[in-house]
Amino acid sequence: MVAIRGIALSKSFHYHQVLNEISLEVKEGECYALFGPNGAGKTTLLRIFATLHRPSSGRFEILGRDGLGDRAKIREDLFLIGHGSYLYDDLSVVENIQFALGVRGGHPTDHEIKLALDRVGIGAFRKLKSRHLSAGMKKRLSIAKTLLIRPKILLLDEAYASLDERGVVMLNDCIREFAKEGSAILMTTHDRSRTAEVAHRAGVIQQSVLQEITIQEMLAADALF
Amino acid sequence: MHFFNTIRWIAWKDLLSEVRNRENISSMFFFALIVIFIFSFSFSLDPRTVQEVMPGIIWVAFGFTAIIGLGKSFLAEVHNDCMEYFQMLPVPKGAIYLGKFIGNVLFMLIVETILFPLFVLFFNLDVLEKFPQFLLIFGVATVGLSALGTLFSALTVQVRAREVMFPILLLPMAVPIFIGAVEATRGVFNGDAFALYSHWIQLLVVFDVIFVIVSFWIFEFILDF
Amino acid sequence: MILNRFIRWLGRYEGWFGGGAALCIGIGLYMGLVTSPPDYYQGEVVRIMYVHVPSAKTSLFAYLVLFIGSIWYLWKRDPVIDNMCHATAGIALFYVGTALLTGSIWAKPTWNTWWTWDPRLTSFAILFLTLVGYLMLRTFLDDKEKEATFAAILAIIGFIDLPIVYFSVEWWRTLHQPMSMSVRGISFAPEMLTPLILMSIGSSLLFSYMLMVRTQMLYLERLLEAKQGRLLSETRL
Repeated sequence: MVAIRGIALSKSFHYHQVLNEISLEVKEGECYALFGPNGAGKTTLLRIFATLHRPSSGRFEILGRDGLGDRAKIREDLFLIGHGSYLYDDLSVVENIQFALGVRGGHPTDHEIKLALDRVGIGAFRKLKSRHLSAGMKKRLSIAKTLLIRPKILLLDEAYASLDERGVVMLNDCIREFAKEGSAILMTTHDRSRTAEVAHRAGVIQQSVLQEITIQEMLAADALF
Repeated sequence: MHFFNTIRWIAWKDLLSEVRNRENISSMFFFALIVIFIFSFSFSLDPRTVQEVMPGIIWVAFGFTAIIGLGKSFLAEVHNDCMEYFQMLPVPKGAIYLGKFIGNVLFMLIVETILFPLFVLFFNLDVLEKFPQFLLIFGVATVGLSALGTLFSALTVQVRAREVMFPILLLPMAVPIFIGAVEATRGVFNGDAFALYSHWIQLLVVFDVIFVIVSFWIFEFILDF
Repeated sequence: MILNRFIRWLGRYEGWFGGGAALCIGIGLYMGLVTSPPDYYQGEVVRIMYVHVPSAKTSLFAYLVLFIGSIWYLWKRDPVIDNMCHATAGIALFYVGTALLTGSIWAKPTWNTWWTWDPRLTSFAILFLTLVGYLMLRTFLDDKEKEATFAAILAIIGFIDLPIVYFSVEWWRTLHQPMSMSVRGISFAPEMLTPLILMSIGSSLLFSYMLMVRTQMLYLERLLEAKQGRLLSETRL
């Protein structure tokens, strides 16, 4: 079943058209990687799917539901790990997780939170206020939230940014696990070899147009753009 | 119910952050304190003048408190892009409004109850036995001020020049609150019977009800443009 | 949509609105300033009413249009409606400003003061401030959709607030200064009524005309931006 379907999506900001009639499909249990130069509109596309932007024209569906009309339902199934960490500086790591899940209506037990934090490798910093976390640790915290929420649609913006080697391995591990469970993953990245370990399909956004490529092509090419 | 859970979590988060950093309450308190000082230098302090100008002074000070405190109330939410997280939440956005609103009312009321004895102290007022009446007026006026303030704070925090825009939008709309609150306060100062100024309290209550409902409904659009 | 088509149909007769406005205001002004008699009590000062009353009425009408347009925008999210709201706010500000200014000039000889905290005056002042805030808010936002939505929210809140302001000031004033300066119920002589009606019609026609022109301007500006955007996205680094 198709989990994410974008149909002729366009988006312009003020004077600038970022996306031009982009169509894209990601099936359940599939990981799709988006490449493209800076400012090509990768993030914008992700944010449209995350219901943060409205497309200027075109429409999209998440798990068969209309992306504009049925937003409240869609939001139950999706999670975005983006540039924002969504953390409150004065709350500890655990409190931040409790809050982030609590407002969604989730009730993780302390044990579940501990397991998730240990898995992403920041279990030792449970009591630390999040203002003292480094960028990589914040990213790991976001991944921990994902582990607890288990969204059917996972959107990863700059998936490997600010993660160390072990962090990348851990994230790829999680992505594989989510895909196996039937989640659809859409990610933007610049690290081709790391992406090839988990991605099933890939595409390049350039000149506001999306072009699909195979994983072999992606790895073989000297430069994608 | 997700709805009440969300309200509870957001109010909990605001209170906990405030207990940890005391930023909001202390800045509100000290700002209002300075306003009191300035006023006590600007007026001759013979008892009749004090009686005459006191309600105005109190509400100017509380008005400034509201501008300082409420204007900042959504700052923590934009800091790490938490507004985006709220936007993606699968709950009615009004719940987020109510959570923030409850926190703001509490902060304002705490500051007002600390400030009021200081007014009594600095201006040699003889009204401590009427504290319940004052608390009632402070309560209803604060609810209205926070209802509008929370809404406009969410609106201006995403705007350039937010420090300017917040009072420019809030103060004209809050004119009925200031009129009602000042008149009711004056009634208590004059030692009038409750029936003589109760219609001002009614006005404030009507204002509160209207704007809590309208803001609750319209908040959906602030987070989901 | 029927309403959209109706507006487009109306737009074709835009020139008639402008012409009608010019005609009505021209004749109305001539009658008001030259042929109508001076008021028994107020003397020549009463002539400012021919500008003041119509602009005050039109500004309230304009604010109603803004309120309905804002709700309509939040409902349908049609950018043209937003253009219309933006246009309305600017024109409404012009009318409110005119009403306040002429009212103030009229009040000086009549009430012997430029300004008094009369409920009507106060709510008009608040209306003025709200519209200024509205237009300022619009300039401070970059995202077009955000701008339209936030502006609509502000307009709706302001519209609901206005009657409460009016009543609270009325209560407040009856408490402090008894209404000594209220306007005497003017029973208009026909030769005064005709220019007033003409001016009112002319003022509403002028509002409609300006609204049509300004909405189209804003709409074309948006198209131009979109076109420039498309050109820009073709010429990349």
